[in-house]
Amino acid sequence: MSEISTNAYVLVSAILFTIGVIGVMTRRNAIIMFMSVELMLNSANLALIAFSRAKASTDGQIITFFVIAVAAAEVAVGLALLVSIFRAKRTTNVDDVSTLKG
Amino acid sequence: MQDFIWLVPLLPLLGVIINTIRGTLAVRQRHTAAHVGDHGHADHGHHDHHNAARIPGWIASAMVIGAFVLTLATFFSLLGQPARTAAGENGRFFDVTYWSWMAVGNFSVPFGFLIDQLSIVMMLLVTGVGSLIHIYAIGYMSHDQRPTRFFVYLNLFIVAMLMLVMGNNFLMLFLGWEGVGLCSFLLIGFWFEQRDPPWASTKAFVVNRIGDFGLLMAMFAIWTLTRDVQGNPLHSLMFREVLAEQHVQTLQFTQTAFLGSQYTAAGAIALMLLLGVTGKSAQIPLFVWLPDAMAGPTPVSALIHAATMVTAGVYLIIRTHAIFQLSPSVMNFAAGLGAATAFVAATIAIGQYDIKKVLAFSTVSQLGYMVAAVAMGGYVAGLFHLLTHGIFKALLFLGSGAVIHGFGDEQDMRKMGGLKSKMPRTFWTYLIGTLALAGIFPLAGFWSKDEIIGYAYDNDHRLLAVVLIISSMLTAFYMARQVTMVFLGEQRDTSIHAHESAPIMIWPLILLAIGAVVAGLINLPGLHSLETWLAPVLNEPVAEPAEFHLGLAGLTLVLALASGWLGYYYYSRNARRIKANERDPLYRWGGDFYTILEDKWGFDSAYDLAIVKPYKAIAGFANRIFDARIIDGIVNGAGWVVNQASRGLRVLQSGYVRSYALMFLIGVIAVLGYFVLR
Repeated sequence: MSEISTNAYVLVSAILFTIGVIGVMTRRNAIIMFMSVELMLNSANLALIAFSRAKASTDGQIITFFVIAVAAAEVAVGLALLVSIFRAKRTTNVDDVSTLKG
Repeated sequence: MQDFIWLVPLLPLLGVIINTIRGTLAVRQRHTAAHVGDHGHADHGHHDHHNAARIPGWIASAMVIGAFVLTLATFFSLLGQPARTAAGENGRFFDVTYWSWMAVGNFSVPFGFLIDQLSIVMMLLVTGVGSLIHIYAIGYMSHDQRPTRFFVYLNLFIVAMLMLVMGNNFLMLFLGWEGVGLCSFLLIGFWFEQRDPPWASTKAFVVNRIGDFGLLMAMFAIWTLTRDVQGNPLHSLMFREVLAEQHVQTLQFTQTAFLGSQYTAAGAIALMLLLGVTGKSAQIPLFVWLPDAMAGPTPVSALIHAATMVTAGVYLIIRTHAIFQLSPSVMNFAAGLGAATAFVAATIAIGQYDIKKVLAFSTVSQLGYMVAAVAMGGYVAGLFHLLTHGIFKALLFLGSGAVIHGFGDEQDMRKMGGLKSKMPRTFWTYLIGTLALAGIFPLAGFWSKDEIIGYAYDNDHRLLAVVLIISSMLTAFYMARQVTMVFLGEQRDTSIHAHESAPIMIWPLILLAIGAVVAGLINLPGLHSLETWLAPVLNEPVAEPAEFHLGLAGLTLVLALASGWLGYYYYSRNARRIKANERDPLYRWGGDFYTILEDKWGFDSAYDLAIVKPYKAIAGFANRIFDARIIDGIVNGAGWVVNQASRGLRVLQSGYVRSYALMFLIGVIAVLGYFVLR
């Protein structure tokens, strides 16, 4: 079984990240935007793990755990906000939620 | 006793704390009662109003009396020690340091007390006369709105005054010096809802600040310039180090430049100290605040502006006499200043119609005597007069307070007259005070004033002796004028019902009157008890009793009696010419000279023209032009710029999450691009 190169991992990671960015930029549904953000975070995790293996160091893996923990917290807060917004506005469309502006 | 000396200032401080807490609780309770709207409470409050000063007054008085008893015990324990040690040094003192007050780099000042013959005498005066005035004030303030606050301030004053005389270094003295200044400010302006007191208190505070500047400069100079025997800087503010003979002598040899002229360090320090003295002890040119300070309640005038605080300057000169002695020119200048003050203030007192203003100028005049005495080197004579004056001037002020209290809060002497029959006890005690102040044999003032004049005569200050004798004639005249106008003849304004004051106000008068009779005993010619007592602290090898000049004393007495009789005769003959809002009968003789006296020699108008008006003009310019245009321009301009800039930027904050995300993305790409392409 041949070794998969680090380049391949990073390439996949970059593709996932780009999909995430496009998702955030183009979709209006808040839940989909959330999922896209998660995709970006996990692509970063993948890159971290790949580099961690290439360098034979555990630093990247440790940071990955942190990222997972922070992402979980962020989702908890974000979804709670989303539920509140939905209760108030009956919508998950982020463009309808634009009262806070200069 | 040494171990308990800290209790002396602590007791009045305790009074401050207790009364503050009581007052705060009472206010809170009143608020609650007001909310509930309980009728029973309202009635109760009215009942309290009868003499609301009783409880806080007795708490405060008890604390001061306690301090007096402790001081007395300390005095006797000092008396029990030998006057001099085997080495010939002062044996009757203790110098206790409690803790290091502040220590920054090489600057360190301890918190401690120096109790010696000089400070114990001052402490006895402060707590003794202070106790009587506290008790008197319970009666005087009985109808006041805020008696608790009054007694808090009064106790706080006692604390500060004790700090001033007990401190063992210059900074402790300064702490007390500023503390009494603060209490004076608070108490002059005590009736702040009236028109004059707030102005008078501000004036007193500002004028005193000029003197405080002098004291501060002197302290800086002492810290920097005093050297030890090897010539190294001493860096100390402790009395017993700085003023020790071998250290203070070094000040003679250091030169310092000030305003382009050269002085010895001793001369410069003495001059700065003298500026402090003219502020606190109301000498020319800074005496103008003291007469206005009479806007405060009368017990305050008696305690602070006659008996104790204003004598702080005299105490300061005696305490630092080692420095003053090194600079004869400053000493002579100060003596001239004192004598001039004694004369000028005595003349102004003749031209006043307000019963308290007369006494105020009399106080300025007597302070002039004290400063002249100590500046001639007659420290004992000065302190002797300080003590006797503290007693009989407190008596006179309390007496005038009893008159004002019993005469419908009226202070204009032209409306009074004939009060002798209405308030006999006040009259007799007041008469004793008057005779003591006028220097009539055998009352206290005779002995102390004569000692000053005798000292001036002995030490080749003949001119000063003449000025002081003339001032003493004037003193007898204006006091006779006052007593005649207030107590003798017929009551001029009959619409006011005059009555004698309550016993609680009369008893302190009687005790002080006894004091005014016998206080001369402490330094009678031939006995010289005070002189002997103070000799070690004044570094005099043997006490040299000033000779008693029978001829001089007789001459002064005869002149005082004659001018006193003249004052009585003139004002009882012309009693019908004295009318409210009309000028004194003496105006017919004095003419414009009398106007000058009424106008206080124009000091106030001159200061108004030379300092207050230009100052107000500058302040007005700064307020209207500089502040409004330039400062406000800068501040508003800054705001305007930010405002305009944000007007353009606000379109960026659209409220759309996705546009923020886009900006974020562009930012990330820009930063990454910078690092990649660099």
